[in-house]
Amino acid sequence: MMTYISCFFLGGFILSMVAVACNPSPFYGSFGLVAVAGFGCAVVVGSGGTFLALILVMIYVGAMLVVFVYSAALAADRYPESWGSGGVAGQAMGYLLGVMVASGFFWKEEYGVLWGFGGSVEELAPQRGDIGGVSWMYSLGGPLLVISAGALLLTLFVVFEVTRLLHRGAFR
Amino acid sequence: MNPYVLATLLFSLGLGTTLTFASSHWLLAWMGLEINTLAIIPLMAQHNHPRAIEATTKYFLTQATAAAMLLFASLTNAWLTGQWDIQLMSHPLPTTLASLALALKIGLAPLHTWLPEVLQGLDLPTGLILSTWQKLAPLTLLLQLQPMNSSLLIILGLTSTLIGGWGGLNQTQLRKILAYSSTAHLGWMVLVLQFAPSLTFLTLIIYLTMTFSTFLTFNLNNSTTINTLATSWAKAPVISSLAPLMLLSLGGLPPLTGFMPKWLILQELTKQDLAPAATLAALSALLSLYFYLRLSYAMALTMSPNNLTGTLPWRLLPSQHSLPLAISMTASLSLLPLTPALTALFTL
Repeated sequence: MMTYISCFFLGGFILSMVAVACNPSPFYGSFGLVAVAGFGCAVVVGSGGTFLALILVMIYVGAMLVVFVYSAALAADRYPESWGSGGVAGQAMGYLLGVMVASGFFWKEEYGVLWGFGGSVEELAPQRGDIGGVSWMYSLGGPLLVISAGALLLTLFVVFEVTRLLHRGAFR
Repeated sequence: MNPYVLATLLFSLGLGTTLTFASSHWLLAWMGLEINTLAIIPLMAQHNHPRAIEATTKYFLTQATAAAMLLFASLTNAWLTGQWDIQLMSHPLPTTLASLALALKIGLAPLHTWLPEVLQGLDLPTGLILSTWQKLAPLTLLLQLQPMNSSLLIILGLTSTLIGGWGGLNQTQLRKILAYSSTAHLGWMVLVLQFAPSLTFLTLIIYLTMTFSTFLTFNLNNSTTINTLATSWAKAPVISSLAPLMLLSLGGLPPLTGFMPKWLILQELTKQDLAPAATLAALSALLSLYFYLRLSYAMALTMSPNNLTGTLPWRLLPSQHSLPLAISMTASLSLLPLTPALTALFTL
């Protein structure tokens, strides 16, 4: 049962990536990104990484993607092209064909359903999945957290600086 | 640019490289590389014209791809071997993938195509940072990779020297010439990486010195094409008389400093029983030498036909500090007799 649900999420992941690749406008492409992130997080939860999936959904999808979607919607066309327009269906068919060819290339007879690791390492067997890693991250990995926060702060300043520079209009 | 922002960005550039130097964990090394990429983006885009923005975008995309490949290689290594140490990467698959990722980062052929266009869109000081400082961190990681199938690095090295030579032959823009010269020199560095990493380090330091003086010379003359080099004899005669020697040092002629790395690398390759590779590398250096010679010719060995009043540009007071140029020019011309000392100094 769990395998079927995980297969459904994996399939949804691939289909959403196809949707992102053949988006007619950024507005709908970012919607595909939301779907990709959602399905990917569901797969990660099924493999035991509950903390990672939760953080990804809350912060990446819940905050960043929402901000991006609203700013893209404000800056984009009044009547954006949607999925039904022009050659989008043909493009989607092409990408799906590519996915099937690529997976057929790696398919072997004994593959009924592919499944990877269960997510827990032997010495952390009492916990489920990534909880051990979380406790390490906050204790011994403290310096790593500080450096990561510093790098993200730098990214913020870089984005501010780039948009301030581009405000003078070289990038329309 | 706002001085606080400039200080933050330059500090982050230093921090990123230092982080990569000091780390033994792949994740931290990758983080240092990403900090470097991010910190140089506003510096590249600060002159607002579309060419600079295009160069910034191309740089960001290639470096992000290379960083993603590097992260993927380290994750694969962690999955296969269970540890994240840089120097204990023993499986050939992640090692090869990491080498290719780092090759894309520094601009080795056949992953070099972004470098001329990115460098062309930048002004000379930013191009200097790109060509010198940004090469240090990825080369540190390359130096720390375990020995693997040496064919990959030899092919990358020889292709880079050949393409660096051939690509630079048809250029009139100085920044593109310097990009192809960077590819060629990195090819020499990577060629000997598996056999004598100390020589890679020595080549890197000498290349940094020579490129530093080249960029500063072009910046002082405010010239970005070969045509504008032709009037530099009237602006700064002393520099114009030393610059051909510096360019020939980049080309690797004795008795200038640039001969030292090539000589030692050819010797090491011969000792490793790779005489055909050594011959091919030496012949490809001739290609690079031709366009360095063309630059020297335009700069100091000829005067373009013109009437007398047209030969003299405005001679204004120089506004640049020339002490770094003086030091690096001296180093790039006269250090060949110190070969034993430098070989002992730059040992890993």
